[in-house]
Amino acid sequence: MTSTLIQVSHFSYRYNQESEVALKNVHLEVAAGEFVAMIGANGSGKSTLCNALVGLIPNYFVGYSEGRITVDGKDTASVSVGELSQTIGLVFQNPFNQLSYTADTVAEELAYGLGNRGVPRDEMFSKIKKIAELMQIDELLDKNPLELSGGQVQRVALASAIILEPKILVLDECTTQLDPIGSEQIMDIIKKLNESGITIVMVDHDMERVAELADKVYVLQHGSIVLGGTPEEVFCSPQLAEFSVSPPDYYEITKNVIQPGYREKDFALTESQAIALLQEVLYEDRNQEPQA
Amino acid sequence: MKIEIKNLKHKYPSGGEALRGINTAFEGSDPIAIIGQNGAGKTTFAKHLNGLLRPTEGQILIDGESIHEHTTAYWSKYIGYVFQNPDNQLFLETVRKEFEFGPKQLGVPRHEINDRIDFVSELVGLKHRLSTHPFDLNATEKKFCTIGSILMMDPKVIILDEPTCGQDVEGNQRLTEIITYLKNNDRLCITITHDMKFVVRNFDQIVVMAKGQILMSGSKNLVFSDTKTLLESYVTPPPITRVGQALGLKDISFSKEEFIDHFTRRLHQR
Ligand SMILES: Nc1ncnc2c1ncn2[C@@H]1O[C@H](COP(=O)(O)OP(=O)(O)OP(=O)(O)O)[C@@H](O)[C@H]1O
Ligand SMILES: Nc1ncnc2c1ncn2[C@@H]1O[C@H](COP(=O)(O)OP(=O)(O)O)[C@@H](O)[C@H]1O
Ligand SMILES: [Mg+2]
Ligand SMILES: [Mg+2]
Repeated sequence: MTSTLIQVSHFSYRYNQESEVALKNVHLEVAAGEFVAMIGANGSGKSTLCNALVGLIPNYFVGYSEGRITVDGKDTASVSVGELSQTIGLVFQNPFNQLSYTADTVAEELAYGLGNRGVPRDEMFSKIKKIAELMQIDELLDKNPLELSGGQVQRVALASAIILEPKILVLDECTTQLDPIGSEQIMDIIKKLNESGITIVMVDHDMERVAELADKVYVLQHGSIVLGGTPEEVFCSPQLAEFSVSPPDYYEITKNVIQPGYREKDFALTESQAIALLQEVLYEDRNQEPQA
Repeated sequence: MKIEIKNLKHKYPSGGEALRGINTAFEGSDPIAIIGQNGAGKTTFAKHLNGLLRPTEGQILIDGESIHEHTTAYWSKYIGYVFQNPDNQLFLETVRKEFEFGPKQLGVPRHEINDRIDFVSELVGLKHRLSTHPFDLNATEKKFCTIGSILMMDPKVIILDEPTCGQDVEGNQRLTEIITYLKNNDRLCITITHDMKFVVRNFDQIVVMAKGQILMSGSKNLVFSDTKTLLESYVTPPPITRVGQALGLKDISFSKEEFIDHFTRRLHQR
């Protein structure tokens, strides 16, 4: 039995100074241990939903909300953001929003959240050392967080969320400034965290990655969830283009070169699937060569 | 306009060497992409090209003249840099004011500023946002606002530092339009990005950086076939190219069309 960890019920939200709603009647359930991806055009409400999941909406932002969100049984409107952060952590779209602006070094930055939680000093040091190695920021520990490259800040932002070991990690476009190999390495770490039981909610524009990692994909448009399901259900949906989302490139190339009905699956969504399927096509063709 | 970079080194006061001897030159208007590892020095390098940062060693010549001869304010007429983090660039109360600021400083006449606002706000997709406070824009709109305010100064060379971050399909399309516009109007666009799909779609001159140096410069064909350099600079080819390479297709593919063509040819060769 999987248990529901996040329950969003008919949730709507409008920012104070805006005339349009940012979220409209959103209904969503996330099971414990699930890897959920949220996709959709810019301005469709992804970050707003992230803010709502961690309680920044309605506790911090000024606006009007309707409906209800519970995270691990707690109603986000009635517990403090601090209390909620023991359960659910957010990595902001802009890594600079993650920084405390009180720390002189990256090590202090990482210690900041732990300190707030009353973690003893020696335990703190060993945690910082461990996370720094994992995230490959050991060499940055003595540096000023404001004197880093964009990608380096993004790694620090991720590390400062992961170090708190929340049950649920909400990742709002958290690798946009990472180099391609670094980004793959970080996603491997996220995947391992998920395998160890941590629930992941990830916003991303990289459809190849979404198809590779997510158990469930939700598409947002104008503040509503307009499509949801497994990567296959979502990326094969004929409606997808209406929501300004394209399927992974692997889907488009395999769909184009493989005869419909070639196998029970005549398309691929991930790199390894695509290579295997296309190799099969090439190989099979070779076997048929004598008859041709 | 020609930019020559000779043995450029940069050491931040607090840190190590961010640039360890860059030698290269940029000319013409074929768009250039700079790619490579985090911390490689891409931003540090770009900030030297209009004098935002001063070399610790080495020199930068613009049409033969040392960049030291004039201030950043002077060079900004010729070379515009769009910050990686928009919050470092935006400081006025409305998008319109951000747009007006640069050309006003340059003494561009009022009517021309108005014409430019019409054109630029359309190009960057902020026509309906001119009276919005930049801090009420979302992340990608902010980026387009900073791009717009540099376009308003109409420099000969424009450097975009990670404009692709967080862009959706439409945003990427808009960036392509901006890059095409610049090329067609004889302006050189240099773009720093980690999005390799975007790179192969828009650029055929690529500079690869790692650890404070340029490892290689060349066409996308050359760069994405050089596995060793890619690995050293923490870059991977885009998805379609990777599949083509894994299948051992003879010609490298960058677009769906190329892949389909190369794959079908291989099938029929048998
Ligand atoms: N203001 C600063 N003070 C001290 N060191 C800095 C400063 N800005 C950057 N650095 C260091 O200089 C090196 C190069 O940084 P730079 O920002 O140029 O890298 P980058 O290639 O643009 O990386 P990214 O892809 O992450 O944006 C890094 O090691 C970084 O930590
Ligand atoms: N802090 C904010 N104040 C006012 N409006 C906002 C704020 N953040 C987002 N919005 C608005 O809410 C809508 C959804 O934005 P957002 O959640 O950022 O979308 P996404 O993350 O999918 O790009 C947009 O219309 C945006 O302009
Ligand atoms: Mg967002
Ligand atoms: Mg940079």
